[in-house]
Amino acid sequence: MLRSATTPVLSRQRLGLAVLWLVLILVPFWVPFVGGYTQLAGRALVLGLAAMALNFLLGFTGVMSFGHAAWFGLGAYGTGLMLRYVTSSTLLATVAGVLLGGVLGTLLGRLLVRRRGVYFAMITIAFGQIFFYIAYRWNSLTGGDDGLRGFQRQPIGFGRFLLDIQGNDIALYYYLLFVFAICVGLMGLLLGSPFGRTLIAIRENERRARFLGIDVERQIWLSFSLSCFFCSAAGALYALLNNFADPMTLHYTLSGEIVIMAVMGGMRSFWGPLLGAAVFVVLQDYVSSMTVNWMSFIGLLFVLVVLFAPRGLLGVLQRETPR
Amino acid sequence: MKEGGSVRGLSRRGLVGAGAAVGALQVTAPYLLSARGEQPVRIGMIDPLTGVYATLAVSEVEGAKLAVAEINKAGGVLGRELQLLVEDSANDVGTGVQKARKLIDRDKVDVIFADVNSAIAYAISQVTNEKKVFHIVCGGHTDPITGKDCKWNVFRVCNTTTMDAAAITDTLVKTYGKKWFFITPDYAYGHSVQAAFVKRLTAHGGTYTGDLLPLGTADYSASLIKAKAYGPQVLINTMGGLDQINSLKQFVQFGLQKDMAVGGSLYELQIIQAVPKEAQIGWWTMEWWWNQPNLPEVARFVAAIRAATGKPAAARHWFGYLSVHAVKLAAERAKSLAGPAMARALEDLRLPPEVALQPGEIYFRAGDHQLMSNVFVGEAHPPEGDPANVFTVHEMVPGPTAAGTVADTGCHMAYPA
Repeated sequence: MLRSATTPVLSRQRLGLAVLWLVLILVPFWVPFVGGYTQLAGRALVLGLAAMALNFLLGFTGVMSFGHAAWFGLGAYGTGLMLRYVTSSTLLATVAGVLLGGVLGTLLGRLLVRRRGVYFAMITIAFGQIFFYIAYRWNSLTGGDDGLRGFQRQPIGFGRFLLDIQGNDIALYYYLLFVFAICVGLMGLLLGSPFGRTLIAIRENERRARFLGIDVERQIWLSFSLSCFFCSAAGALYALLNNFADPMTLHYTLSGEIVIMAVMGGMRSFWGPLLGAAVFVVLQDYVSSMTVNWMSFIGLLFVLVVLFAPRGLLGVLQRETPR
Repeated sequence: MKEGGSVRGLSRRGLVGAGAAVGALQVTAPYLLSARGEQPVRIGMIDPLTGVYATLAVSEVEGAKLAVAEINKAGGVLGRELQLLVEDSANDVGTGVQKARKLIDRDKVDVIFADVNSAIAYAISQVTNEKKVFHIVCGGHTDPITGKDCKWNVFRVCNTTTMDAAAITDTLVKTYGKKWFFITPDYAYGHSVQAAFVKRLTAHGGTYTGDLLPLGTADYSASLIKAKAYGPQVLINTMGGLDQINSLKQFVQFGLQKDMAVGGSLYELQIIQAVPKEAQIGWWTMEWWWNQPNLPEVARFVAAIRAATGKPAAARHWFGYLSVHAVKLAAERAKSLAGPAMARALEDLRLPPEVALQPGEIYFRAGDHQLMSNVFVGEAHPPEGDPANVFTVHEMVPGPTAAGTVADTGCHMAYPA
């Protein structure tokens, strides 16, 4: 999907990419006209990044994690704690959040690379719940169930130029998009590299990959770690978006939602999870204003997608494109 | 305008005619036009309509809707129609904050009501304060909201945890004794209510121990065994919503009611009605009670709630009802919908009896923006006659007595320059 042998498809993909980025960049201008608001787009972008990070592991390595909220939440707490107690630099706080979730994910990832399938998923849930309860009980540091508050994203200065992400929603959106672009760019490069090829080889047939001399455990560990770093980046952005970090960002229900977004959007495609996240967020926002049973609608859509479009929503849209 | 056809086909003559017609209407029926022509006054209400507090949240929304209907019937607020936009916070902070931004940024609401969950109420107050939007916390009890973290734009209708605990502690010590066991939910509300009880209890020379349990706990056996071993005279149960139902059901299944009394601060009408007869016991506080025989306006309100919802009126109905009326009173006194003007106007404003719905002087105290209403202390019992008659009020403790002074709350009210 990422690279294709024939040139016409390649150029068509390029065109698609250009349109996608144009749409993302112009969000603040078109979103109010379709009844949305910039904060909603920001939320879709952040959760989309989390779902794409999960898909790095799920869709391109073939390993299922049900605990990705842990790294998402750690990113949020890392950023929040940094802003609250240490620094007033938003950039530094973002980096701190990414490192907190990414490094812990890398360390714990070593423990689960030999597990597969349901065992892998169960252990990732367990890790997630460990961090959830730490945040929930450690009232003095994290604010417990009340969440971590009392921090604010700060304007970012580049020399004389000041990006006011504190008071200006549109500036904040562009900051989110900037970090999103870096992460997604890295993800694309990695998946296009020989390393990415080995991941797909493992996904397709682990035993054959092993016979080819690929160090499967090491590659899965690397893939898991990278996925954690990207997911923490999304969490860090989430803390900035809400000016708040709460234990539910670590909870397995959020992990489940991230999986739903990835699968609903299409886990075999690079951009599918972003579409899934956008659909999830927009549906939640609109339907929950009309009925308290909004969960049923998302559930129904999920069931329909799994039954009738195993390649996800993006798969349905791309049906005609040759693979 | 219709005769002119499409906009493109609008003739000069048609335009002049329409202008003349509008002008004529201004003279003949000015009220109609000014009421219809302006934007409605919008209240955005965020409450956990799904999750453990759903029953309580729904009651608040019902009360608010009744008040909105009454106000619109009587001509609206500042001559404009009043609109209530309800959003589900799903008992999740992130969702609540997002809904607040949606209501303020997109729907341009003038006022925010939020939330039954104290943590969400608190998080949203950061947003409303930043945006200078008038904010009423209808039903989140944690102290700091009108205490050390009070904000100029935030008013609260329900009591603080300290008010509820302080009002009943003396009675419990006098009636049962000074050795207590706590079952407390492990989050902001639980911590502050237990702290308030303990402060008052230790002042009486009492002793205590207890368990902090997460929200949504289903099995209370470990804590109840611990309580039995400790042998307290009073078990204080401050769980909320479904958790309170589960814990009291299990308390009765363990037969602990023979060994110790049970009591606490809040035991709301909806919850008393949902538990088995054996659990309809103990001493509690109500923040408002429907059975006040001497007040005709209360009877009228109870009948109106019954007619609109088929349910007995609960304190949560009154929270929603009072909040909407407070918006009207503040807006009309300030003659404005700007946050700072409304906030100033509502401070120390004595609420009329048909809004206060209880005896005494009821007002939002200027020092901390906390509503000074009576705390109803009494005993729960199985229904007598009316199925909603499950509580007998023994004492009404006036708000200022229960709340203490503004200095005690730690609030320093600061308005923006």
